[in-house]
Amino acid sequence: MRIRTLKVAFALLVAFLLAGAPALEAGNKNVRNSSRSSVSNKSANRNTNVNRNSNVNVNRNRNTNVNIDRDRDIDIDVDVDHRHGCCYHDHHHGVGVVGAVAAVAVTAAVIGSTVTVLPPACTVVYANGIAYQQCGGAYYQPRYVGTSVSYVVVASPF
Amino acid sequence: MNHPNRMRTAMAGGLALLAMVAIFAAPAAAQMGDAAAAVEPAAVAALDQMGAYLRTLKAYQVEAVTSREDVLENGLKAQYSNVTTILVRMPDRLFAETNGDRQQRQYYYNGKEFTLYARRLTYYATVAAPATVKELAATVDEKYGIEIPLVDLFLWGADGVSSAGITAAVDLGASSIDGVTCSHYAFRQEGLDWQIWIQKGEFPLPKRLVLTTTTDEARPQFEAKYTWNLAPSFNDAAFTFDPPADAKKIVFAEAAAAAGN
Repeated sequence: MRIRTLKVAFALLVAFLLAGAPALEAGNKNVRNSSRSSVSNKSANRNTNVNRNSNVNVNRNRNTNVNIDRDRDIDIDVDVDHRHGCCYHDHHHGVGVVGAVAAVAVTAAVIGSTVTVLPPACTVVYANGIAYQQCGGAYYQPRYVGTSVSYVVVASPF
Repeated sequence: MNHPNRMRTAMAGGLALLAMVAIFAAPAAAQMGDAAAAVEPAAVAALDQMGAYLRTLKAYQVEAVTSREDVLENGLKAQYSNVTTILVRMPDRLFAETNGDRQQRQYYYNGKEFTLYARRLTYYATVAAPATVKELAATVDEKYGIEIPLVDLFLWGADGVSSAGITAAVDLGASSIDGVTCSHYAFRQEGLDWQIWIQKGEFPLPKRLVLTTTTDEARPQFEAKYTWNLAPSFNDAAFTFDPPADAKKIVFAEAAAAAGN
């Protein structure tokens, strides 16, 4: 009886360490609000939910491999709500090769999902004069959301 | 620009006004028991006067040192600094550049096309643009969720932009910004408390702006300190984007579509 209780407690602890801890980390880096940067622009900060897609991806990665996601959180938990002069670093590539591989493995299949950082080893390709990033077998279309660049996974533009 | 006689006249006028305000406003405020609701007409008038002056400028360059704050989900605030330069030739030319740790952008508008260029990422996107800077600001804000840097500078005093939404306005007196004597005012409008420092004398330019967003209990702030050049030298090429060899063309996500995803 006692051993069983301990086992359950241990299992819960492991579950927390694997799933709970990264979730807390992720939450701490999310931006809930930004200062307005103008008096006159009435609609400033109006589009409040652009980052929903990013969260979908985060969860999916987490299910695939929780340990890897510690690295990924840095890339994905950014807010694309704001307007000029904000948000995240202009990096082309992710921080961890391992994490990025996981992202490819998962998000490559999800056309329409959005990431803010590309996996490594991408090549710029052009279709109708517009740039795409080809990363393995997946195509990412860079685009401005506000003044920030994010990447949508798209079907092959060719 | 701060002529002694004009200063004296202005001060005398100011004192007279102050006396009138003291005589008439004090009993009213006492009766209402709520000074927070006060809109000092002189403060609003100063704002309108600044706006009217800004609209007389044909060309100007402004460098602004700014800081803005993000509120993280646990309530921590993160402050980021930026240096922004804008070059405007009214009504239909604009170049803006923002440089910060996290983002560098250039904005080009030549009366026909608008381009946003990310220098470090080397991405740019170009769209057809409306005929004036003011319309451009409204269009890119609405369609793409893009705020033109220092947009207030060409919206203050513009047709259809009014101070009607101000629910509190206070004259806080004289204050020096970079050695220039300014009048310091505080205003309140929906979701925003803000302060402005307006240069005294015949050139009532905004010298400093502080915005406090009041829709979040952490009250994130934006600050800008402006350095003005009212006689900038430039040629028309400054407003048209000429893509460098490594520049890659991308698209703007439409704000409505992005929000609905």
